[in-house]
Formats: sequence, structure tokens, C-alpha cells
Amino acid sequence: MSIQVSLKAFRYQAGSKPRFERYQVTVPDDANVIDVIEAVWSQHDRTLMFRHACHHASCGTCAVRLNGYEKLPCIVSVKEALAGREEMVIEPLRNFPLVGDLVVEVVSFFQKQAASGMVITREAEPSLDGQPYQRSEVFAEDGTLDDRPYNRFENCIECGICISACPTMSATDKFFGPAGLAAIHRAIQKTDDHRQKSWLLALADGEQGVWRCHSAFECTEACPQNVNPAEAIMALRRELIANKVKKLMRG
Amino acid sequence: MSAPHVIVIGAGSTGAATAHDLALRGLRVTVLERGEIANCTTGRNHCLLHSGGRYCVKDQESAIECIDENMILRRIMPDALELNDGLFVALTEEDLAFKEKFIAGCEKCHIPYREIPVKRALELEPFLNPKILAAVQVPDGVFEPFRFCLAFLATARKNGAVVRTYTEVTELARSGQSITGVKIRDHRTGKMEVIGADMVVNATGPWAEKIAAMGGVDVPVSPTAGVMVTVNKRLNNMVVNRLDKPSDGDIVVPQRMTSIIGTTSWIILDPDQIEIPKDHIERMIQKGREMLPAIQYAVTRGVGAAARPLIRKANADEREVSRTFECFDHKHDGVEGFVTISGGKTTTARGMAEKVTDVVCAKLGHQAECHTRTTPLLSYRLFYN
Repeated sequence: MSIQVSLKAFRYQAGSKPRFERYQVTVPDDANVIDVIEAVWSQHDRTLMFRHACHHASCGTCAVRLNGYEKLPCIVSVKEALAGREEMVIEPLRNFPLVGDLVVEVVSFFQKQAASGMVITREAEPSLDGQPYQRSEVFAEDGTLDDRPYNRFENCIECGICISACPTMSATDKFFGPAGLAAIHRAIQKTDDHRQKSWLLALADGEQGVWRCHSAFECTEACPQNVNPAEAIMALRRELIANKVKKLMRG
Repeated sequence: MSAPHVIVIGAGSTGAATAHDLALRGLRVTVLERGEIANCTTGRNHCLLHSGGRYCVKDQESAIECIDENMILRRIMPDALELNDGLFVALTEEDLAFKEKFIAGCEKCHIPYREIPVKRALELEPFLNPKILAAVQVPDGVFEPFRFCLAFLATARKNGAVVRTYTEVTELARSGQSITGVKIRDHRTGKMEVIGADMVVNATGPWAEKIAAMGGVDVPVSPTAGVMVTVNKRLNNMVVNRLDKPSDGDIVVPQRMTSIIGTTSWIILDPDQIEIPKDHIERMIQKGREMLPAIQYAVTRGVGAAARPLIRKANADEREVSRTFECFDHKHDGVEGFVTISGGKTTTARGMAEKVTDVVCAKLGHQAECHTRTTPLLSYRLFYN
């Protein structure tokens, strides 16, 4: 069964004024919001710019603000998006430079993570069996299959939602941000090297680090992948304070 | 004299890998993509790094391409692969009878395999149907389609390629019987431009026919849609396949926190307008449950469909059409400066790129060998810098 959906979408093209445009599209009744955005493109305006790739919350490209909240439209149903309202409102993420319509430039997300010298990796999250994975254990060179630990991609899909939802990010650019600090936290958990650990802790303690966070917990609230960056930030703070107290005691 | 300029239309896996190969061989490259990278066929694919097992009985040419490229990608692509292998499981006596054919197919296509005892398979995959009769392990894997493309494009950019997203080709520019470039609309600015090129590569997958038509030529590519259903629980570590010839709902690919059930197959007219039949979704869940019964307790997280580019052969049903790829030099249709690469799989994108880049280099008289088999790609992250 098909339904008619009303929406208001943010439109912007370089050199012109941003505006909102209203649309009505026809989509299947069990459609998700990404299907609505795509329907605006296919049924009304082929110049609409929006990001999307996987449609199952793995690529992290399609993040927008839906009715004022950061969401991945590929996993929010039309029913949810329209609960108690006549039309849905779709806007680009905040705290990123605007490219056009719903598209933002995400370079800063990756730069901030790179600045920490550590990024959320794709190869080290324990799998269902809890075993970590080592690169050397990739498929044996001689082509034989063997028992070896499973691996899986990290939960963070680098969608930028936490950056958009973070009130600190809207006040300053000098902040690693939730994903960046969660990455530092993960890196500290992963390493056994004391020098590496103290270097990472110093980063978290530094100018762009955990003390800039206003403890609003908006990042954790918004994260579609349950990464819980706010808890990572609080854990880093606890560790830093404990270290400082220890130092003080030692005189 | 500067190197010849090649325009690649499309930034899915084929276009991305082709841009990388062309740039590595010293050509000037511009990639044009109407939307985001991997926003269509590649982005919405099943994320399966094929071992070739799926095709080793009925489509051995494609199976060999898959296992060869699978082994190469393991060596060159950082960050974007999960290498957890795949299991082919028998549920019925019929499936069991297929096992000998499957194993013979693996041997013929040099796909490593090992049969593992049912008890061991159930230990490895606790959500598997306990009634399975046999399990064969092969080196399937999982990739991240979007990041797969970014890795190729990041490397291409380092080697000088220009990547323009939200830039739509509206016409091909021609002079007599030669394609001399493209007319584009940059959606960021709304401006139209003409970009000249010594060669235009049509790497638009199921859109290949549409782009070819702009050059007045025809390519036999059928957009063939497939539905995938993603559930909100990861129920398997390995890829779980039905031990049988390919059919609907016979594969569950794990990725991150999810499992993705696929797929169906039906020919469509326009890859921009795919209507997902409701019964396909139900069938996916039903068939998926036969292998992983816990799917019944999982919640559907997303349903997607994308069009595959299948090369048309006379009198073949779409399940029987080979998943192999082809390069079309349109000089055979009387048009110079224009080639199409289509068909294939994301797994075989590098091989497709090698084939079309060989053709492009020969046409341009540009002598350079292919080194993409051994050149490690940059991390996908470096696309953003």
C-alpha cells in the first residue's frame, strides 16, 4: 500500500539564499525516511543533493536532522517520523560546512580523529566470541582455512551525528568532539604500551580534550550505533582525575 | 606534453577502481558522479566479498574471477574488509546431494574449502539451524561498499585524479564520430560546463545503457533488482549460505551489529525506479529463518533494493546469466573515444578496472602496465583530507 507524505526540506545552493521547500511524495506505507528523501529526488527534483549509500545504517552517509533531531533516515520509519505531526522537517547536520541542500562537508570529522593520532579502527572490535582479531591472522598465505578469531567492524559508522548534536561543537571548533574522544578512549583501552597510554591521556587532558565537554550527553542520546561517546568522555575524566590525585598524594 | 585525459562516469566500485588504475598508469583522470560516492548499486549491495562459492557450480568463469580478486583485495585493501569466511550449509537431502557438485566446483575454481563437522559448525555459529546436515567453509568475507570505493578513490586522488561528486553528465560532447568530452551540470552551483577528454569511460553499472544511448550506441546491460533485508541483530560471524545453486533468500551476510538477508532477482526497466515487492521481503525473512531460525525474533532494521548490471545473453533467465563482466569498445559501433565497462561484482571491481584500463591505454597508445594487483590502497579515511 502507498501513502502520501508531506515534508519540508532544507534547500541551499552555493550563491543563493537557503530556504525551505514543501513537497508531497508517494511512498510505500512501510517506507523509511531515506525513501521519502529519494522520492523527492525521483518524483520532484533531480537536482536535490543528499547523501546516501547503504540504506541499512552501515555507511553513515545519510545522517540529517529530522524534526530537529539528528537521525539516520535509513532506519527511521515514516510512521515514526510523522508521529503526531502533519509533515516531517528535514535539514542538514549542524557544525559542518554546508555544501548544498542536505549535504555537508565531513572532512573535519576525519581530520579531528586523525589529529588525535588515533581513530576508531575497523579491525579490532571483539566479535561474538569476544576474541580480538589480529591482522596477521588473516587468511593463511598458502590458501588453507584454519580456525582463527572472528573480527567485525567497529560500531562507529562515522556518520557525524554526535558532532551535530554536541552543544560544545557549536560553540568552538577547538574540540576533538565526541567521536574523537571516544576513539582516544578506545585506543587507551587497546594499548598495553604505557608511553602510548600517557600520550593519549595527555591529548584527552589537553586544550581540545575532555574538559571542554559540557556534559550534555546529547552525543550518546543521538548516536544511532550505541557507541556512547559521553561515557567514554566521563571515563577519561575519571582516569585523569585519579592520576592527578595519585600525583598529589605522592607529593 | 601532458598525459591524455580520461573521464570516468560513475563513482561506484567499477568507476572508483578504474580511476585508481588509470591514475596509477599515469593518465589524467576526472571522475564524475551525479550523487554521493557509491549511492546506488554498489552502496546498496550485499557487502559480500565473494569466495566464488556461490557461482562455482553454475558460473565457473565468474567464480574464478571472484576467488582471484578476493585474494588480491585481502592484500591491498586496509580497513574495509571483515575476513570471517563463509559457511555453505545443507538443510535438506537435496542440498546434501548438491555437496559433491559444490566441492568439485570449488576444486575446479581453486576455491579453498573444508568440510567441517556439523557439531563444530554449530559451536562456531550458535544461531545456525541445529538440523543442518553438512557445512562447508570457504573464504567469503564482508566489505563496506562505501568505504571500498573511498579506498580506491583516495588512492586515485593521491595519484592526481579529480573526483567530482554531485556532478551529473547530461550529454556526451562529440565531433563527427568521436566522443570528445561530456556536458555536465554541477548540482552544487547549478552551472553547466563542458569538459573535454581524450577518452570517456562509462562505468555506470545498470545505467550503462542510458549513458551509452547518449553516445548513440547500445550496450546489452539489464538492470536486475535484488531485495535485501537487514535485521537489528548480528546472528552470524561467518557469511551463511544455503548449499544449493543460487536462489532467493539463500544467504545471510553479517555486518557490524546486523545481519543482511538476500536476495531476490527480477529484471526492471529503470534503475531509478525500483518498487520493492512486499512478498519479496516476506520471502527473504522466511528463507533466512530456515538457516538462522533466530531471525524470527529480530526486528527489521532496513529494507533496500539495488539494480545489478547483468550482461544480457540471448535466451537466459536472470538467475542463469553469468555474473562476469565485459568491456565494450564502441569503435565497433562506429564511435571513437568511448568505452563501457559493466556487469561483474563489487568483488571483481579491480579486475574490471584492469580490463577497461588495458583497452583505454591501447586506444590512446599509452604504454603502461597494470600494478593494481600489488599496490596497497590508502585507508579510505584519506579520501577526506
